[in-house]
Amino acid sequence: MTPLRVALAGNPNVGKTSLFNELTGARHKVGNYAGVTVETRAGAVVPRLSPARPITVLDLPGTYSLTPIAEDEAVAFRCLAGAEGDPPDVVALVLDAANLARNLYLAVQLLELGRPLVVALNMMDVAAEAGMPVDPAALARALGVPVVPTVARTGEGIARLVEALGSIEHVPQAISPLRARLLADDDALPAPPGIGAARWRWLVSAAAAGTLELAGATAEERAALAAHPAADVTAAAHARVIARYREVDALLAEIGFTAAQRERAPAMSRSAAIDRVLTHRVWGLLIFVGVMATIFSSIFTWAEPLMGAIESLIGWLSEQVAAALGPGVFTDLLTQGVLAGAGNVLVFVPQIALLFLLLGVLEDSGYMARAAFLVDRLMARVGLHGRAFVPLLSGYACAIPAILGTRTITDPRDRLATILMIPFMSCSARLPIYVLFISALFPADDRVGPFTVGSLMLVGFYALSTVSALAAGAIWKRTALRGPTPPFVLELPPYRLPRLRNTLLHVYDRTADFVRQAGTVILSVTVVLWVLLSFPRPPDAPDGGRAVAEAVQVDPAAHVPEGMSQGAAAHVPEDMLQATDEDSPIIHSIGGRIGKAMEPVLQPMGQDFRMGIAILGSFAAREVMISTLGLVYGIEADDENQTPLREKLREAREPDGSRRHTPLKGLAAMIFFVYACQCMSTLAVVRRETRSWKWPLVMFATMSALAYGLAVLVYQVGRALGYT
Amino acid sequence: MAFNLAQLELGARARVTLVGGAGPLALRLLEMGFTPGTVVVLVKRAPFGDPLELQVRGCHVSLRKAEAARIEAVRL
Repeated sequence: MTPLRVALAGNPNVGKTSLFNELTGARHKVGNYAGVTVETRAGAVVPRLSPARPITVLDLPGTYSLTPIAEDEAVAFRCLAGAEGDPPDVVALVLDAANLARNLYLAVQLLELGRPLVVALNMMDVAAEAGMPVDPAALARALGVPVVPTVARTGEGIARLVEALGSIEHVPQAISPLRARLLADDDALPAPPGIGAARWRWLVSAAAAGTLELAGATAEERAALAAHPAADVTAAAHARVIARYREVDALLAEIGFTAAQRERAPAMSRSAAIDRVLTHRVWGLLIFVGVMATIFSSIFTWAEPLMGAIESLIGWLSEQVAAALGPGVFTDLLTQGVLAGAGNVLVFVPQIALLFLLLGVLEDSGYMARAAFLVDRLMARVGLHGRAFVPLLSGYACAIPAILGTRTITDPRDRLATILMIPFMSCSARLPIYVLFISALFPADDRVGPFTVGSLMLVGFYALSTVSALAAGAIWKRTALRGPTPPFVLELPPYRLPRLRNTLLHVYDRTADFVRQAGTVILSVTVVLWVLLSFPRPPDAPDGGRAVAEAVQVDPAAHVPEGMSQGAAAHVPEDMLQATDEDSPIIHSIGGRIGKAMEPVLQPMGQDFRMGIAILGSFAAREVMISTLGLVYGIEADDENQTPLREKLREAREPDGSRRHTPLKGLAAMIFFVYACQCMSTLAVVRRETRSWKWPLVMFATMSALAYGLAVLVYQVGRALGYT
Repeated sequence: MAFNLAQLELGARARVTLVGGAGPLALRLLEMGFTPGTVVVLVKRAPFGDPLELQVRGCHVSLRKAEAARIEAVRL
């Protein structure tokens, strides 16, 4: 039996995600709509709910309407209208019973579309508590579609919803008086022949909003629209919205709401009391700063023990593998390449999961909207929407979801400006780099007042990255992306206790996505780098006599892959190779030679060839920078025990006995990583979002130049001040 | 010039008469419920005086002053 295809629609903040998770048992696939970056989630209804026939649920983006003002609405409409393959068999619309006066607008639009509709009337408890109970039977009569009361948080009513969805095809939906009225309502601009009424109304609103591109209008459709004066199109689109709200008011009157009740915001009374503090002009701002500070300090302290545990586990695993297999090239590949690479990636999972958890809780609780409300003035000064703040803030976790999150920004120029700002935000992949250098090079007990020097530096890097992002945005908005500041128009939803399950699922999706990337890109780059840094082995290397090594080792020169770095290797003068680190096997490898060749460029910023190799490796992803350094030191020390990298950095000495990694050099390296756009994944996502290579290349070039210039500046000024 | 929502006093109510202008903003304002005849209350101003928090059709919506100025209204 072919499954029944259900599309789940609804306003943001009405419990749609909870309902989806209850329906599918949280076993869903995350995907993307073709051509746009709006994320989709689809899953099958769990057998526990005993659907009469298999049902698959597609979770549409949460929208207030289907008018194509941003991609979310455009995607929802196209999906419902069948422009993206078959239209869904049934639409399940989630309505907030405590906020019907606005929620019913989407219901009216869906009725115009004419797909079979089932309403899940959510938050009945909130409405009843507020003294505005809704009678589902009355609403069903008024709308002319089945209405099932649900409490998504507890799963109440879900089984009845599934039943209603499954039986929809057996209950022919009579054209309700309302739907007949909606369809018969004369348009100021009647649809030309060949274009359906719903599509035409949609196109008219798209033309009025100036988003025909988003609506995917054909040449014929554009021509039909162009036949009318722009003022008439705008007037018709506005009249349509007003007519729909007239229907909403008629519906509300029909189910017994008075005009005074329509005005009231019952779900908001408690939130308004909370907001007296949280958006207060003094306390609100102080709390905002406190919340942001708490997030980042807790990531730093809570994740630390888990990171330590993962480090030890990988070290233990390496020992076991080495003991079981005995020494040899294959063992080295496993321990120094595969295990070390995987470990150096997994070690960041606690931070990433924690950050997504905290950001998710803020979003689901309703605080994120307040944050946008508080900082809009600041964002408007940059020339952006307060809502751009949320993707920017997500940039602290990872640029990739943050860039995907910019789709809520309507104006393409503003969206692009935000995308260009995001990589400046210190993502969680950079945090481990800061943590590594700070903990390796700055004593943990150095304090300024109650704060350690390390935590102050960390706060400083985040402040620097934030200020730089805002400055970059301001510059882009005043130059190449000049345009008016976009409209704000943001709902401040009622505060709700976040549902841990939903947040954890979100955290799982995000973290699993990161690990999958780690599993492919980062791990393979680590292994490739291990090969580059291990071969050819020096003729007199301590393990040169090993059977396996001998088998692999023929003529060192023959191991240089053709065309790859033959040139670089050949041009390194022999005396330069001999000058330092004579004992390091790595100096003879391909990677070592490339790094050596880069050294003159790196020296002004206080870095040696090891950092050069790590910086090169980090192009694949910033995380690789650490695993490369690990590889560099792991191999160099020829140490089967995985002593944590920070110990090695701290203990590394130049031939003259001085510390190889001084605090100043570490600072320069960290400044470099604050600015460098060292992430292939970010560049690839930007390329997909902007649909050209121009912007990722611009982004990479400007950020790299800035990174190098500032790192050189820091190192040179530091040296002039007498530091080493 | 007609009275508009940007001129509303804290806690005061007004009835929308017209959303002016064209483009996505006017359409978005209408769709968020600022249709003629709707009663709006100014709940709060953000810490730096902008944006505004307005109650409309049972929800709280935040608008910048410049946007609220597009919505003409009569004081209640």
